[in-house]
Amino acid sequence: MAEVRLNHVEKAFGKFTVIPDMTLTVPEGSFTVLVGPSGCGKSTLLRIISGLEMPTAGEILIGGEDVTLEEPSNRGISMVFQSYALYPHMTVAQNIDFGLRLSKTPADERERRVAEAARILALEDYLDRKPGQLSGGQRQRVAIGRSIVRQPKVFLFDEPLSNLDAALRTQMRVELAQLHQSLDATMIYVTHDQVEAMTLADQIVVMNKGRIEQVGAPMDLYDRPETEFVAGFIGSPKMNLFPASAIGRDDAATIGIRPEHIRTDHENGDWPATAQVVETLGADTILYVTADGIGDMTVRLPGHMRLAAGERLFLTPDPEHLHRFGSDGRRLTS
Amino acid sequence: MTRGQLIRNILRVGFLCIVASFVLAPMIATVLGGFKTNAEIRTSAFALPESWNWEFYGSIVSDPMFWRYLGNSLIMSVAAVIITLIVGAAAAYVFAQIRFFGSRMLFSYLLLGLMFPFATAILPLFIKVRDIGLLDTYWAVILPQAAFSLSLAILLFRTFFEQLPKELFEAAYIDGCGYVRFFWRFTLPLSTPILATVGVFVFVQSWNNFLLPLVVLNSREVFTWPLGMMQFRGEFVTEWNRTLAFVTLTIVPAIVFFLAAQKYIVAGLTGGAVKG
Repeated sequence: MAEVRLNHVEKAFGKFTVIPDMTLTVPEGSFTVLVGPSGCGKSTLLRIISGLEMPTAGEILIGGEDVTLEEPSNRGISMVFQSYALYPHMTVAQNIDFGLRLSKTPADERERRVAEAARILALEDYLDRKPGQLSGGQRQRVAIGRSIVRQPKVFLFDEPLSNLDAALRTQMRVELAQLHQSLDATMIYVTHDQVEAMTLADQIVVMNKGRIEQVGAPMDLYDRPETEFVAGFIGSPKMNLFPASAIGRDDAATIGIRPEHIRTDHENGDWPATAQVVETLGADTILYVTADGIGDMTVRLPGHMRLAAGERLFLTPDPEHLHRFGSDGRRLTS
Repeated sequence: MTRGQLIRNILRVGFLCIVASFVLAPMIATVLGGFKTNAEIRTSAFALPESWNWEFYGSIVSDPMFWRYLGNSLIMSVAAVIITLIVGAAAAYVFAQIRFFGSRMLFSYLLLGLMFPFATAILPLFIKVRDIGLLDTYWAVILPQAAFSLSLAILLFRTFFEQLPKELFEAAYIDGCGYVRFFWRFTLPLSTPILATVGVFVFVQSWNNFLLPLVVLNSREVFTWPLGMMQFRGEFVTEWNRTLAFVTLTIVPAIVFFLAAQKYIVAGLTGGAVKG
């Protein structure tokens, strides 16, 4: 267990700068999720922490020690890859204890740790199989088992669930959360899926174009997005963002409101609108409407809602939940 | 099966039989020729022998020199295979893994070897081998043979190694495995199909090579089998039946080697490394 600190880390591939200047602290024992659209540099950042990539400038500290020039195996980290990267010619047991064998861990200690990992991940029955004979979820567990046995200070996950189908992903998400609780280790997790980020993290780092947009607890990001980008990225369905001038306000450049913070009425309200598509999901109803003079909007209503496409209705935003952003995209505080 | 398919299948089988006969007919003639008298070979080369004369095969098998030639060929071929595989795989591994200044040029230079005919090099090769003082030794055949096989080996190996998932190395690297160890523990075990293919190719080429041993070997002690076969060519007569029996017996090890290596020429060993 250790804190990870990045001091003014920069990364460029040739002339192309991926990460301009990044300073970030991942607290000890936290589950930090790096999230952002593809190509925002989140995977590169993880690879820099792991030691697979060298930063162009800056330093990396793990547990207070400068590991910028250290080999990956000496950093006290382990990494789970998106493609699992299991060793195809080795059995599950050999896959799991490969790192231990390299570090010359005594045989009885190795056996104990492999058995322990297999127990935690319910892999006991598969230890003699080759990766080719396992299902996607089992392979994922083997990859995680490989990290656990090394007893790293920091776990790194590079989109570990994106190759699994939806049901399995939900299940593995729960297992990962449990794993974090039982191991009590620092975990850094990269994903582009904001649902994974919201459910797993106790700290989310939203990245865009190599820069950090905002760092914070999931609900802080949700309730008080610091930038327009975060406002649009976190939350599903997306926050409605539109120019302030469309509703006659001049105290901001852009106004945002989450779909669940809009009330609807058939007789009166602030913004007249026309329903376009109605999605009934059971627990709630998602309404896609076009507000006159403002544009397309999404509204989330609890429960069932009988509404046909093309019907007229009125929208009333909850004034407390209006988010205002300046012309630089940053949040305005009144 | 419809009528059309049947006709198509018959045509296909017929065509394959014709192609196969091009290979099999000389082989059969060779095997049978070893049982015939010289006169009979001249009159009916492809027919079954009138009487099965085992003495030609017998005399060759009971001749210690035959085993000597075979042993020499085997040692040289196996050594050429081992050297080609190790050197070729190591070089290809570097080309596949590491980008260094001039790597493309160096690689292209190595590939030039593919276009270089063996016979053209034979004289300079002889002079070089003589200068180094290797004439009449096993190395005189092994080293040039391996050198001439390297271009193709490196080309094939590099293509194969590049297809190994990159994450495999990264995962092993994080586990504390360096380049050299990765080569031995991962690249080679995962590359058995291509190692077998190149191995068979080099072995057969070396086994059948005539020109190189002819030029660099002089004493009977180190002769390979193609040179040993020459003993049946007298100044005035060629003992065709003994020659054919000799050839038949020398083909056997090459066939055995191929059959043994064939089962390793199976793809799909990397299945399960990454989700495909």
